[in-house]
Amino acid sequence: MTTLTYQRPTSLREALETGGSDGARFVSGGTDLMVQRRSGRSGTENLVSLRRVEELAGIDWKNDQLRIGAAVPLAGIGADQRIARDFPALAQAIAALGSVQIRNVATLGGNLCNASPAADTAPALLAYEARIEIANTGGTRTVGLDEFFTGPGSTVLQPGELLTAILLDARQSAGSAFMRLGRVRMDLAIASAAALVEIEDNRCTHARVAVGAVAPTPLRLSAVEEILEGKAPDGPTLAKAQAAVDALISPISDLRASARHRRRITPVLVARALEAAISMATGDAQ
Amino acid sequence: MSSLRHVGTSPPRPEGGDKVGGRARYIHDITVPGMLHGAIRYSDHAHARIRRIDTSRAEALPGVRAVITAFNTPEIIIGFMGDNPVLKKDKVRQFRDELAAVAAEDAETARAAAELIEVEYEPLPGVFSVEEALAEGAPLIHETDRRGKPLSSNRLPLIFGHDSGDLAAGETAAAFVAEGSFSTPLIQQSCMGTAGALAEFDSNGNLTITAKTQIPFLAQRDFTKAMASLGLKGCSVRVVVPTLGGGFGTGLDTHVYEYISILLAWRTGKPVRVLYNREQEFAYLSPRQSTESRVRQGCDKQGRLTFRSVEVVQDNGAYASWGATYPSVMLLPTTSLYRVPAVRFRSDIVYTNNTYCQAMRGYGNPEVTLGIESTLDELAELSGIDPLEIRRINCNQPGEVTPMGLKVGTCGLAECLDRAGERSAWSEKRGQGRATSRGIGISSLIHVGGGGKIYRSDGSGIILKLDDYGVVHVNYGGVEMGQGLHSAISLMVADGLGVKPSSVIVNQTDTATCPWDVGTHASRGAFMAGNAALKACAKLRARLFEWAPRVYGDLVAENIKRARRRDGDFDPGFTEELLAKLTPGQFELLDGELFPHGETGLPPLEDAPWLKVDLGRFLRAVHFPRAGGAGTVFTEEAFYEPATELPDWEKGYGNMSASYTYGCQAIEVEVDQETGQVTVLKLVSALDVGRVLNPQTLKGQVYGGIAQGLGYALYEEVKTEGGRVLNPGFTDYKLPTASEMAFPIELEFVETDDASGPFGAKGVGEPGLVPTAPAMANAIQDAIGVRIRDLPITPEKILDALAARDGA
Ligand SMILES: Cc1cc2nc3c(=O)[nH]c(=O)nc-3n(C[C@H](O)[C@H](O)[C@H](O)COP(=O)(O)OP(=O)(O)OC[C@H]3O[C@@H](n4cnc5c(N)ncnc54)[C@H](O)[C@@H]3O)c2cc1C
Repeated sequence: MTTLTYQRPTSLREALETGGSDGARFVSGGTDLMVQRRSGRSGTENLVSLRRVEELAGIDWKNDQLRIGAAVPLAGIGADQRIARDFPALAQAIAALGSVQIRNVATLGGNLCNASPAADTAPALLAYEARIEIANTGGTRTVGLDEFFTGPGSTVLQPGELLTAILLDARQSAGSAFMRLGRVRMDLAIASAAALVEIEDNRCTHARVAVGAVAPTPLRLSAVEEILEGKAPDGPTLAKAQAAVDALISPISDLRASARHRRRITPVLVARALEAAISMATGDAQ
Repeated sequence: MSSLRHVGTSPPRPEGGDKVGGRARYIHDITVPGMLHGAIRYSDHAHARIRRIDTSRAEALPGVRAVITAFNTPEIIIGFMGDNPVLKKDKVRQFRDELAAVAAEDAETARAAAELIEVEYEPLPGVFSVEEALAEGAPLIHETDRRGKPLSSNRLPLIFGHDSGDLAAGETAAAFVAEGSFSTPLIQQSCMGTAGALAEFDSNGNLTITAKTQIPFLAQRDFTKAMASLGLKGCSVRVVVPTLGGGFGTGLDTHVYEYISILLAWRTGKPVRVLYNREQEFAYLSPRQSTESRVRQGCDKQGRLTFRSVEVVQDNGAYASWGATYPSVMLLPTTSLYRVPAVRFRSDIVYTNNTYCQAMRGYGNPEVTLGIESTLDELAELSGIDPLEIRRINCNQPGEVTPMGLKVGTCGLAECLDRAGERSAWSEKRGQGRATSRGIGISSLIHVGGGGKIYRSDGSGIILKLDDYGVVHVNYGGVEMGQGLHSAISLMVADGLGVKPSSVIVNQTDTATCPWDVGTHASRGAFMAGNAALKACAKLRARLFEWAPRVYGDLVAENIKRARRRDGDFDPGFTEELLAKLTPGQFELLDGELFPHGETGLPPLEDAPWLKVDLGRFLRAVHFPRAGGAGTVFTEEAFYEPATELPDWEKGYGNMSASYTYGCQAIEVEVDQETGQVTVLKLVSALDVGRVLNPQTLKGQVYGGIAQGLGYALYEEVKTEGGRVLNPGFTDYKLPTASEMAFPIELEFVETDDASGPFGAKGVGEPGLVPTAPAMANAIQDAIGVRIRDLPITPEKILDALAARDGA
């Protein structure tokens, strides 16, 4: 019989101390970790739960700055009215992620730390230029989400380090949207895309575009952003943006879809996310 | 038979509360004292010779009670072709081949021990498609047949064919011909309740096995054969069926894991349970087989079919289960869906080193209906006739005899087409096509509705036993697996006998207490049970009424006395001599109350409620006669064997069912031409069910069939590589969920009141999923102008087809 230890620290300090011990592994909702354990992909026997750590539990606003604790269940984030208004792409990504039961326990921190290329919240957070707060026994530091992922399943987190919060700045005049496709509704994304734009005088002044499940990590598409910025958000610009996607992604073939299919649909998703973001920014949405 | 009071109503299912409340006992819930847990060691190769099996490390593990292999255990060979040894000795032919098994004190130890078994192999080249298997010089999967005679090919020696009419003349008469190659995937039945068995021997060598089966009596026969190998000839085998979380065909044969539980119980002298979890079910249980077919049919200028030819090849996998005989049902739509004067059918069933396959709902029918209904739409297009209209033109008619010799009794297909056309707004929606990316498609179906004779008997026995309190205990050998059989039985017995459904208790299926039944398949459960029950009810009623005159007068006299006690002036308004004159033919039983009817001279029941006698009270009076002397108790049995024929399979001829279920589905879809995503907008199903027994369970059957049909059409596929299952779980095997079913479904039921059916009913278990995939393919073609002939119709295939059409 295998034995499993399970600890439930209540403070960040305690969590960092227990989590730093040999063979320890943080667990939040466990919706990735427990599945990996059962299928033998993770041999962890020493779990440190983050669910009771007070410092990871809150959703806090300071003016337009939002701080989401790493261990807040996705359902709580999805139900937040202000988040839905200021960060609609994040709310849409959360609504697309798993099922009600999964969202009731799964966390934003878990989604990012698991570092699946298909993590649904990642493209939206990339488009919002989220920053990640990381703690270790020595203190905290902050990195941009675009620097956080280093490959499939890997991040800049060092052993014993914790993702404590996701930091976001609301851009009140922006429009943003998230799009994704799975084989069925309850599936990991075959491909996903998020877009954020600001429009002034029929000119795109700021654009952020990111995609998921089509590269080793969730990916910002800076070249697409450059095509948009300074241009009128019209058909020809969108077509150019759409056409630029293919060269930027490096999808693989897996059980969910072939690389070829991902190459066909990702530009479409990017274009549709942009269209939705533009119509929101220009007030057409209502 | 008394009048229809309960048939046609929807009381809650008798077993529903227990299922919802967690009281129902599935195989996973059943443990017995001293029980050990079994685990199986499977092959590491798809095709290899076994050099050596070393079990010493497994045996040394604390908690292990027995380790069995072919080298220390009597040989048992299973499968109707006799090609599947329970424990493999010479070679393995698929990844799920069983090399050894362990019984241990807990499941985890058993599993750990199974992994400690060391096996040395000599790998052999494998064949993983029918093309590879049939290629010249292909490695042979079975070198000999069951008698040791050398085999020269991977083709199973099973012939199903059909030739009728003049095919050449049909070709000549055809103004239009459509032809295509179609393929259907390997899919998992995906029962909510996974498989398992619990075997135990008593000290006399009698075996009781609790097994997730749909064929308790054929299983009893198979297990009895195996008993001889264990030196237990003459000992009894009892098969008990626990609550089933779905069957869908998985239980239509006996499985190696069941024999392993028997062998381990025999070896250890302890009860042994073997359970599958979801991943094991995907990897080690038999799925629905994949097929490739070539369909060609033609019609004249008026749209009348002139000929049809269907050729099918099945990838059977490494061993033959009953599922190998899918062509027996493929013959049905091939010969008898629409009127076709000349028909040809050929089938090839081929061994490969893929997982061996098994039955699933529809059993070959959806596989060929796809090609028939797709090419029919192409004929409609070629001839310029609307697809709904071409189906009307060729519609089957009541009373016709089809080229297969099927005697179509009632046939509601024409009405189904009309109603589906109306409810789906067919003429408005059809042909909107490319401008909107919306389309509508339709497909019909035929299936057996009155049993399906594929064995020397297609019969069903039933025992009805009345207790002293007016409760009817039903012992029926068919299996409730979620389809609502027990609800149907309780309603039919209630009306057939004259009691309330709540007074009908359907007992657990058990070969020790239930009479023989061939199995719950071919949509036959309610049809057979109902016919058998009505026979037994008629006997019971006759005997009850025969006894009625002897005690009824006394019981009514007591009623009158009681009424007088309450009201001194009470006057029943008739003389008690009238009661004494009643004859057996003047009694009626309704909702558990016995009373006189007809010309008796007695006042009408409304005015004289004291004429009603509670059935329980009556039974006690008969059982314990007040006047002394011998009383009686009431138990009646009946065996119903439909007047059908076991077809000649090589000729594809014989009236295999007592009635035929017809129907159709129309599906409206929208296709996203940039992503290939299909959205179902609406589905209309029209089904000739003969008679609605329980509207709620009937709807459940059809909804469930549509959900499975949707999965078959769009999502489901077991993917394999070199014989290994790549997606053994719901992470990568996609079933439709409530989100995919969130479109309006409209159900129409046509009641044709078939004379062969109980209360006119036909079997409806399987038809729900038969027409869904072809209707979907036809709808997608209407929406975007491309035809997909390869299931499942994934967005990838749609984008590929669009690109090919546009020459990209
Ligand atoms: C049925 C099902 C459906 C799903 N559908 C989707 C879907 O549609 N889209 C999608 O993106 N995902 C999906 N998932 C995956 C999963 O639910 C999400 O990734 C979820 O957000 C993970 O959060 P969690 O809290 O459960 O993570 P956990 O499983 O607790 O942790 C995941 C990983 O992150 C580490 N970790 C967690 N929190 C921290 C932290 N604060 N600091 C450092 N490391 C940490 C853990 O050690 C572990 O390695 C699905 C999962 C299931 C079971």
